[in-house]
Amino acid sequence: MPEANINPIQSEAPPPITAKNVDLSNCDREQIHLVNAIQPHGVLLVLNESTLSIIQVSANTESFLGLSSEAMIGQTIDCLLDNENVAALRSQLATKNLADGFAHLLTVSCVHTNERFHLFGNRIDDLLLLEFERPNDTERFSDTNQFLRLNNTIQQLRGSTSLLQFIGVVVDQIRDWTGFERVMAYRFDTDGCGEVVAESKSPELEAYLGLHYPASDIPAPARRLFMLSPLRHLPNVDYLPVPLIPENPPLLNGRTVDLSYSFLRSVSVMYSGYLRNMGAKATMVLPLIKDGELWGLISCLHHSTPKYMPYESRIPVEFLAQIMSQMMNDREKMDYYGYRSQLDQTLHQLAAALERTKTFEQALVSGKVNLLTTIDAQGVALIINGKLTLLGKTPTEQQIGLLVVWLAQQDGLIFSTRRLPHDFPLAQTFKVIASGVLSIRFSLANSDGIIWFRPEAQQEVSWAGNPNKPVEVIEEGQEIRLSPRTSFALWKEYSSGQSRFWLTCELEYAKQLRQVISDIMVNRTSLLTQINAELERSNAELEAFAYVASHDLKEPLRGIHNFAELIKLENNVHSPEKRLRRIETILSLTNRMDSLLESLLKYSRIGLSELDLQSTHIGNLVSQSIDVLKQANPEMGVTFTIQPTLPVIDCDRMRVEIIFHNLILNAIKYNDKAEKTVEIGCNTSVNPVEFYVRDNGIGIPIHYQEHVFQLFRRLHGSDEFGGGNGTGLTTAQKAIKRHGGRIWMESSENVGTTFYFTLAPDLISKKEMIR
Amino acid sequence: MKKNRPLLIIEDSDEDFEVTCWALDKIGFTHPIIRATRAEEVLLHLQSRATAGDWNDLLPCLVLLDLNLPRMNGLQFLKEFRAIESPPAIPIVVVSTSNNPSDVSTCYSLGAAGYLCKPLSLDSYVEKLRYLTHYWFDAVTLPE
Repeated sequence: MPEANINPIQSEAPPPITAKNVDLSNCDREQIHLVNAIQPHGVLLVLNESTLSIIQVSANTESFLGLSSEAMIGQTIDCLLDNENVAALRSQLATKNLADGFAHLLTVSCVHTNERFHLFGNRIDDLLLLEFERPNDTERFSDTNQFLRLNNTIQQLRGSTSLLQFIGVVVDQIRDWTGFERVMAYRFDTDGCGEVVAESKSPELEAYLGLHYPASDIPAPARRLFMLSPLRHLPNVDYLPVPLIPENPPLLNGRTVDLSYSFLRSVSVMYSGYLRNMGAKATMVLPLIKDGELWGLISCLHHSTPKYMPYESRIPVEFLAQIMSQMMNDREKMDYYGYRSQLDQTLHQLAAALERTKTFEQALVSGKVNLLTTIDAQGVALIINGKLTLLGKTPTEQQIGLLVVWLAQQDGLIFSTRRLPHDFPLAQTFKVIASGVLSIRFSLANSDGIIWFRPEAQQEVSWAGNPNKPVEVIEEGQEIRLSPRTSFALWKEYSSGQSRFWLTCELEYAKQLRQVISDIMVNRTSLLTQINAELERSNAELEAFAYVASHDLKEPLRGIHNFAELIKLENNVHSPEKRLRRIETILSLTNRMDSLLESLLKYSRIGLSELDLQSTHIGNLVSQSIDVLKQANPEMGVTFTIQPTLPVIDCDRMRVEIIFHNLILNAIKYNDKAEKTVEIGCNTSVNPVEFYVRDNGIGIPIHYQEHVFQLFRRLHGSDEFGGGNGTGLTTAQKAIKRHGGRIWMESSENVGTTFYFTLAPDLISKKEMIR
Repeated sequence: MKKNRPLLIIEDSDEDFEVTCWALDKIGFTHPIIRATRAEEVLLHLQSRATAGDWNDLLPCLVLLDLNLPRMNGLQFLKEFRAIESPPAIPIVVVSTSNNPSDVSTCYSLGAAGYLCKPLSLDSYVEKLRYLTHYWFDAVTLPE
């Protein structure tokens, strides 16, 4: 049971839990930083920083510094150090960051004994804490030797080809460096349990390799604490704590000094008890940090005797642990190399399929390469628009429905567990199929995503002692106390509701696949929005078309009906001439209706068939159109001017013929001048090319210019100017739009009209051109 | 009301005008009828209060307005008519083939006094015109 609280909640009402009243029921709240005692392998001083006067001191100064603790209270640091050392100390205090922990300040010589000490400092709550530790004089390496040895160790670490081998080298090297009898690497599972994954030990010791420890052995607060300090060291489990005196210095106003960062701080009795039960006499613990998270611990135990690691010996080990943390990522990447590259390949194949196929289901489930290719899972569920598609061995749709609801409550877009029934009890019924789950969600807005299922792995777990009994009840006379467990005897258990671990590369694969899919979703959504807008526009166009068509066709129909009725009603009332006139009206109305229907048909055909783009000589096409018009009206008396430089362009010949025919016909029709002229040309200096048809006709008043392209909209009576039915310009415009082009006009009354048009989309919009 | 104030029919189709006149005659309508084929001409006339062509110098007492007209259509006419400064006090009744709800509501919101949808059958047209003339010339009082 290790030390738990670095930042405990300062509860007001109940008395603080300290070494005096801690037991296992409350050790998670023990305020170990307020212990007011230290271990005996050094000296602690509490000072006022500005005056360097001593407020509180550990009760063991005499044997270290040659001056009794009582004699030091109220004195300044000058009672221990000479002027030169005090000056050096002051300059260190001015420059070093002492807020985040103890830092080595300098090596000093004590004035009373002439003995040398390492001096460490920490600033906390406006107080200066100084720790004195003896240097290592017996086993001193020269700096060069230390460097060469470190270098050799790093070379060996580099040579390892897998994470496990790497960790094996690490524990061997640390045992070699430190001389601890047992050095273990301990890896945390996501649930806080741990397993010894590498061990280096003296041959006479029992092996711990492969043993599991329950989460309560190293609870979450303790794991956080390990993240903060590069090294924890307990040289003698059976040490006698040294109190700080006086217990309540008047200057502290009843406060207790916060020893959170103290290297010498006295540890929790629960922790030393736990270690004693394990048969350890001394320990040292280093964190292994991967990707900024506590991956595991290097735990060093000494069983035969207490063991003290002086500062000099700790430095290279600390350094080594940091290098290890940095190298771990690379080592892990070497694991599963083949598997990783297969996952990569599958990802690429799925991405290609997603681009190629219409639906996600087709791309991810139906294909030869699918969501179960490569990845170590037996089943998968794909949820798209709330619709479930299953592949392989999966829970039922109903069970997945429940699971999806639960997954939606988990944080983040990617989630994995190897112990689903423990996290989500409803999963107990399908744990055989799905004890492990890896899921991605495409967006936080809904539950669409992918869930991979991994079956339960029947596995024998060796626990260091019964994991279900982490504590024992001890009766001491009248008192009943909880104590750390004493038994670490091998305890075998068959795990249930657990799958194999999800590997980092599998999580990475899932994350990348999620990215690919959500990118495609975003693209498809914007495409869909575009198509929808287009559809809405064409729907509105159709509605307007249907309305206009029915309305305008009804008019002649009603006329026919009315005149037929009139004839019937007026039988024998009027002269035969009058009746004949009525019949002629009916006939002319049927002709008008026929012409309307014919135009309507032409108009709708323009939009029906696909564009048939061919290289077309526009000059020839215009000449042919004029010839056709001339044949139909030999005596129209119009002077045509065709610009000789009309280009050859790719266009739909049939439709472009209709455009020129209608525009030229319009130019001839609405012209009351004696000398009618029509000019056809283009401006090739712009892109796309702008064609024009210019006449010297009657012109279009400015207010009606926007109406001329409306279906059946005439500006003149049906009998004027050769009787149009208001479809010519509408049809031309439709043919132009079909090419992606546009049509516009310049016109002034009695002077003439020029229609301009293009046969390709504008490269930049008109607005931008103006800007 | 003076019996000689005319009814103005704005209608470009000769056939439709002929049928309307026939129907009005049939129900014994006696007011003079004047016809315009162009809404913009009527507007010009009303704006200037000038007499033009065969126009009676009396203002019409009621206007029957077709919607589907070349150039200025019925809707535009209603809009422009409202825009005249101190418009003459003449009710305008729309007579159209269109039964499009948006046309009906647009006309009323532009100040139309009524909306008559031209039916296919001559009998019903006669009936509708009978009601219309009863309402405007017998029931309600038109401005002098």
